[in-house]
Amino acid sequence: MLKILLDRTEPSADVVKQQQNFTQILAACNYQKQVMNPWRYWYFPLWILAVLMIC
Amino acid sequence: MALQLSAHQQSFLLEEERKLVERAKENPRYFAPLYERYHDAIFRYIYRRVDEEEQAYDITSSVFVKALQGIHKYEYRGLPFSAWLFRIAKSELYQSFRDQKAQRTVSIDKVVLKQVIEDWTEDYRQEDVDRLLSKLRLLKEVQLQLIEMRFFEKRSFKEIGDITGLSENNAKVKTFRAVLKLKQFFHQIE
Repeated sequence: MLKILLDRTEPSADVVKQQQNFTQILAACNYQKQVMNPWRYWYFPLWILAVLMIC
Repeated sequence: MALQLSAHQQSFLLEEERKLVERAKENPRYFAPLYERYHDAIFRYIYRRVDEEEQAYDITSSVFVKALQGIHKYEYRGLPFSAWLFRIAKSELYQSFRDQKAQRTVSIDKVVLKQVIEDWTEDYRQEDVDRLLSKLRLLKEVQLQLIEMRFFEKRSFKEIGDITGLSENNAKVKTFRAVLKLKQFFHQIE
């Protein structure tokens, strides 16, 4: 369903700038990169397995 | 709506922008100048299409996260970098509509509505405003987008073409047809 809003006030450029900044975006991007990395979940089990195999 | 995009269509600015993109490909930290340049325009594009401000911020941040993640795939084709960002914004917006996280909204200034009605009828009446708003709902999404960008956001055909992936002429023709359709709906006797 389409919603139509008339004469809607927009936040000022300063307010928009205060709400979001590049550092937050970069941090979110780095976090997503980490989470999406499949090795993240295999890293420790593989280490443990390697140590066990060496032993 | 203040969209400072026309300057970016100038070739020397496009070249400068291309260099910024190349630097950002090497290190995401260098994406900052591009972010500063386009964040406001992208936010406003999204804000006018969703009903809640918080959703507009959320979608805007996901647009820039996607842009940062995909910058290495970006290829310069003579278009402003903003065209690429607007396309990501459009895809993120429609994804949030599909996921029902946001509601499709059209933000219109009454002054613009008045201008349209005065062009199409002899005098301006409140019932005509209501009729035009109800007829907007009958348009196809593509037609609505074109009318939205051209009349409610006052974008140039070149800019509309860049955002939608059409040529300037094609954007002009399709917008004209969309307006014609809306006009037909408006004058239809119920």
